[in-house]
Amino acid sequence: MPLPLMILVCLCCLPALASGESTCFTANCHRAIMELKHLHAPVRDENCLACHVRITTTHPILVGNGKSFGLVAEGAKLCEKCHDALGRKRVVHGPVREGKCLACHRAHGASGEQLLDVGDDQTSFCLGCHDPASFKGQFMHGPVATGECTKCHNPHESSEPGLLPAKGRDLCLRCHADFAKAMAAATVVHPPVSERPCTSCHTPHSSPAAHILKKKMPDLCTDCHEQVARKLSEATVQHKPLQSKESCGSCHSPHFSTTKGLLPNTEQEVCLGCHGSDSLGSPPLSNLKKELASKKDLHAPVKNGTCDSCHDPHGSPYGKILKGPYPAQFYAPYKEGDYDFCLSCHDKSMLKFPETTIYTKFRNGNRNLHYVHVVHKRKGRTCRACHEPHAGDGLKLIGKNGPRFGDWRIPIRHTMTPTGGSCAPGCHRKFDYDREKAVDYLKDQKK
Amino acid sequence: MQQYRRAVMLLISAMVFSGCSGAKTATGPVFFPMAPNPPRVQYLMKVSNSEDIEGKKSSFTLFARKDQKDDQVRHIIKPYGVTTHKGRIFICDTGGGTISIIDPVAKTFLPLKGNFSTGKLRKPVNLAFGNDGTMYVADVERKEVLVYDPEGNFKTAFGKDLEMKPTDVAVDDKFLYVIDMAHSEIKVLDSKSGKLLNQIGKRTETTDGLALPSNLAMDGKGFLYVTNTLSGKVMKFDRDGHLLQSFGKLGDGFGQFGRPKGITVDDAGRIYVADSAHQNVQLFNEKGRLLMFFGDPGSAPGGTMNLPTSVAVSKENLDFYQKMADPSFELENVIFVINQYGSNKLSVYGLGHRKGDELDPATGDIKAKEQQSSADTKK
Repeated sequence: MPLPLMILVCLCCLPALASGESTCFTANCHRAIMELKHLHAPVRDENCLACHVRITTTHPILVGNGKSFGLVAEGAKLCEKCHDALGRKRVVHGPVREGKCLACHRAHGASGEQLLDVGDDQTSFCLGCHDPASFKGQFMHGPVATGECTKCHNPHESSEPGLLPAKGRDLCLRCHADFAKAMAAATVVHPPVSERPCTSCHTPHSSPAAHILKKKMPDLCTDCHEQVARKLSEATVQHKPLQSKESCGSCHSPHFSTTKGLLPNTEQEVCLGCHGSDSLGSPPLSNLKKELASKKDLHAPVKNGTCDSCHDPHGSPYGKILKGPYPAQFYAPYKEGDYDFCLSCHDKSMLKFPETTIYTKFRNGNRNLHYVHVVHKRKGRTCRACHEPHAGDGLKLIGKNGPRFGDWRIPIRHTMTPTGGSCAPGCHRKFDYDREKAVDYLKDQKK
Repeated sequence: MQQYRRAVMLLISAMVFSGCSGAKTATGPVFFPMAPNPPRVQYLMKVSNSEDIEGKKSSFTLFARKDQKDDQVRHIIKPYGVTTHKGRIFICDTGGGTISIIDPVAKTFLPLKGNFSTGKLRKPVNLAFGNDGTMYVADVERKEVLVYDPEGNFKTAFGKDLEMKPTDVAVDDKFLYVIDMAHSEIKVLDSKSGKLLNQIGKRTETTDGLALPSNLAMDGKGFLYVTNTLSGKVMKFDRDGHLLQSFGKLGDGFGQFGRPKGITVDDAGRIYVADSAHQNVQLFNEKGRLLMFFGDPGSAPGGTMNLPTSVAVSKENLDFYQKMADPSFELENVIFVINQYGSNKLSVYGLGHRKGDELDPATGDIKAKEQQSSADTKK
């Protein structure tokens, strides 16, 4: 440098540098720093020497390739001059552990707060290092969708895995406060909810399954509920809600409930929630709400509100998702075992003996009229030929309208007396029966 | 040398005589089955005469009294059947031609009040009670069923015209079921009038049936169980006479019978069969699977049996009998067994379990601790 020029530079700069005044940010020098939106405090205070130290006397004139200013310390040590030291907790973010504060933060200033070049959406910033795969699911956790990674993660360090600021469930319940309140009042809590982290079932970022579940239902549920898995695999008759989008969640409240079986209401209310409509299925299934309304002659399980006494809501190898064998047709050739479903509650011996005084009151003398109707090699009348499965209009679950028989409903027209009764259905002429004084049908015919 | 021989002879004779000197005396509680199996039955007591119940009375008196006869010891001579009703024990004594009525809690041992005149028993073998307390007694010598009111007064007798050999009876709310050994069938009579209504259980060409039936029991559901001396089978019928179940055969194996006699069913459905040939009582579950047996042949004290003919089971007065049981043993049922001979005419046993043994609620069996612990170890 020519001597006159050197003298000029010295006259302009050195007095300012020597006094420490804010002359680093002149129109010609380091101007861009001051234009940053959020400035590091020392920068804002123009206290450059808080971090920097002059290592040559030639600044701003560079001599050779060397720098004329350096840092007062290296890496995190520099930041720790003012900021508390980090990295003492169990889990430390990688850059913090390596002392690379500048991996995330800008030294002088940044477009965002916390010296980060980040807006409200932190996603792209964090995914600069982190694998984006788990953030691409169709269903996203709210904070992930809005890019608020630091809502659930502490960016520096934590005593919890995953840099979480609190223990798993406690962290979740900070936002899901209504959930926490309702759970405290619940009498039945799903064990994974009370005993395990929420991430047992949910993925915290995103998932291809609704409700950010780890797997779609029922697969997620059957991982633990093996018995249900077995039933589902063996079922030839399936309960449709299980195959729907909501699957298990169609009937169960997966977290907690006040009802056994994690049902959101009583069992019957849950069932009638769907089966109380005229438009369920094609052709539509019976509207059970209407069928049961104001009837007193209820089948005991219906009366007790336990639909699952007869039906298996998870599927079954038997028609109408019944829990045991029962002929699907109106007439069925009788075979022992075919009626095991009904006979699991009702006495098996009812269909065993043509003569009895014990197993049924539907008899003429000792002649077992249940046996007469059902135990037939070719044309056994199934239970539904006379009895309604859910509710009847009088006694013995016999309906006023009678059973469906194609386009017709066969009237049963059954009456009862203290020792017997009569029946004049659409099947045969009127017959009386009497347990104590048997009616002679042959004599009747001769008349 | 001769002295030595004499000493040896003395020693041998001492050993022989000590061996023959009588039955082993029970030194502690007698359990069945034997250890190391967990105990299920404990022998509790025996009754052979009124002193066993009422205690010994002094026979010394300075004056003859009118009621002195009541102080005499009453013996059970040759009993056959036993039944319990409202905590009392009723023993049919074929030898004495009477029924001994024992109240172990009140400590009374009385004869049947109406056993005289037209109500005089000749050879009573078994008896049963109706719901109203009426007592029906099968008398094989009179060939009738004698009916007594709840106070023990004779009311009437059924079946003189039926030419039967009634060996046992059971009653429900309407009907009286009588084992007719002579015709190998069960006669169903109207329990009020004695009218013959039905005959059931008879063997036909196509169906199995009774073969020299001896004893009858009715369970809580109204099913009838009959022991058959000729076929060695236990048969279960419904009240219409449908044969529902049959198990056992003649033989000396487990679950087989020599002369099956007394039979009873407890409220858990366990079937107890006394066998006067094997001289034991075998217990079966409701499916006819052998659970265990107890009693050994003999007349020694301590649970042996001598021609057992009848067995009854009860839950009444359980606290009273619990006092006789080992402190470690908790009673569930009390079992009464009649021995025709020997000093234990009535032997009383308790069915139960060791305190702390866990029972399977489905079967009533003890859960094996060893199995439990080995299962835990495998885990």
